Amino acid sequence: MVDMAVKASDISAESPRARTQRRNDLLFRGATLFFALLVLTLLGGVIISLIHGALPALKAFGFGFVTTEIWNPVTEKFGALAPIYGTLVTSAIAMLVGVPVSFGIAIFLTELCPAWAKRPIGIAVELLAGIPSIIYGIWGLFVFAPFLQRTVQPFLINTLGTIPGIGAWFKGPPYGIGVLTAGLILAIMILPFITSITRDVFETMPAMLRESAYGLGATTWEVVRDITIPYTRVGLVGGVMLGLGRALGETMAVTFVIGNSHRIASSLLAPGTTISAAIANEFTEAVGDTYTSSLIALGLVLFVITFIVLSLAKLMLVRMNRKAGT
Amino acid sequence: MTALSMTAEQSQAALATDGDMREKISVRNLNFYYGGFHALRNINLPLFDKRVTAFIGPSGCGKSTLLRILNRIYDLYPNQRAEGEVLLDGENLLSPKQDLNLLRARVGMVFQKPTPFPMSIYDNVAYGIRLYEKLSRADMDVRVEEALRKTALWTEVKDKLRQSGLSLSGGQQQRLCIARAVAVRPAVLLLDEPTSALDPISTSKIEELVDELKPDYCIAIVTHNMQQAARVSDFTAFMYLGELVEYGATDTIFTAPKEEKTEQYITGRFG
Repeated sequence: MVDMAVKASDISAESPRARTQRRNDLLFRGATLFFALLVLTLLGGVIISLIHGALPALKAFGFGFVTTEIWNPVTEKFGALAPIYGTLVTSAIAMLVGVPVSFGIAIFLTELCPAWAKRPIGIAVELLAGIPSIIYGIWGLFVFAPFLQRTVQPFLINTLGTIPGIGAWFKGPPYGIGVLTAGLILAIMILPFITSITRDVFETMPAMLRESAYGLGATTWEVVRDITIPYTRVGLVGGVMLGLGRALGETMAVTFVIGNSHRIASSLLAPGTTISAAIANEFTEAVGDTYTSSLIALGLVLFVITFIVLSLAKLMLVRMNRKAGT
Repeated sequence: MTALSMTAEQSQAALATDGDMREKISVRNLNFYYGGFHALRNINLPLFDKRVTAFIGPSGCGKSTLLRILNRIYDLYPNQRAEGEVLLDGENLLSPKQDLNLLRARVGMVFQKPTPFPMSIYDNVAYGIRLYEKLSRADMDVRVEEALRKTALWTEVKDKLRQSGLSLSGGQQQRLCIARAVAVRPAVLLLDEPTSALDPISTSKIEELVDELKPDYCIAIVTHNMQQAARVSDFTAFMYLGELVEYGATDTIFTAPKEEKTEQYITGRFG
């Protein structure tokens, strides 16, 4: 008992060691708090300067800025509808094509791939992620777009284009460049991101849970569909959102292949533009204040779109969790 | 090998007392490899229908490995391979022609930790049934209730069948997993240390459950707990370093083991 009392007083609140510890802890807490606040400040700063820069345009055009298609630097009349449309449609194409393919690759890598092929395919996917977007742009313009123009687009025009209704999406001359081409390039670009996240997420699935499902006599497809995907849904949505975020904001490659025309065409084969492509293309030639301000306002719109998409994703997760009852 | 002769002797002894004993699974000259590691050496043993066979032995002795061969779950992993014969109702389940999904529907398995699927309690039980049978809503309800009653879970969950299986306690989750395995009406039930993650009360519930399921299944249970083996099983196999040291009626193994190693293990001198 006496010994213990002595020991206890050794580490009392007044001892130098305890004081150093308290001080270090305080420093550490302060430093991490500072970093956390830094992020908030940066975000706030970006939002404020975007709004500030966009104010003249928003004052001049009001809400009509996001609902009109006209984009005329000569008369200084600007509306963001065409780039908004282009951004959403190219991203939608990218997701429609990219997500199933990515999931397929990830499922193959985690469930079916023979051990010897796992690494080469995995590395190939990661290398794909490392290609700079300018390369995708050049490749898209000189190789991919002409290829589409010669083969895929005429095929689409002659088949899907003749169907009433959705046929409108595949009408018109095969330009090569256009909304569809941009969407496909985006699909290729987001593929490695979604694939590698999806694969990592699939691998977090406990082996025992997997074995339980196979142990009931489920096939690989049944295990993936009923157990793996529901179990890893949070991570999957995260991966898909990361890909979508990239698709929405990707600039260089899209600028090369989309045609940069401020027009909403019913056909996906026609040229269009996206928000980021419009900004990148026109910033150097934006002379008037309204022009510059309109481009900044475009940036603000992209910011808002991204925010809405992220919120929807969160909402979707909440609803999925409620459905699963956890 | 001594184990082999013992097998025949024991089974004959048992047959004399009990007419309806039938060899459901026969393991013959079974060897198993994890890559280059020889994990099971020349295992011979029967598993009887409507009886519980316990596998005991120190960690790494190969008892779980043996269980994992019986539904070929090891097949999910490359570099793992089995040689020899495992006959289920006279049919070699190691044969490459064996349909794995059908085999696994006939040989159910429950694991060390509860593994409820990320779906409702009802769907957890119905899942396995839906894989192989198209049942009407009403028939499915009956099957699910039957499985949950068999596992003594029905009264606890009947008012919350739509809730997630993950919302149950650990012991309930494990019984849900047994219900899920039982629901597909398998012939064999493999329990791989089913109570190792559970508290004593849940453990005794699972043990009672094993007793109640016995009349309908051939049950194999791997356990670290020798009292558990003594309580629930009719036959016990003691394994050590990948070999089957001794197999026999549980009473005999625990009261008069023939091998010195077995006696040392069950008296707690190693393991």
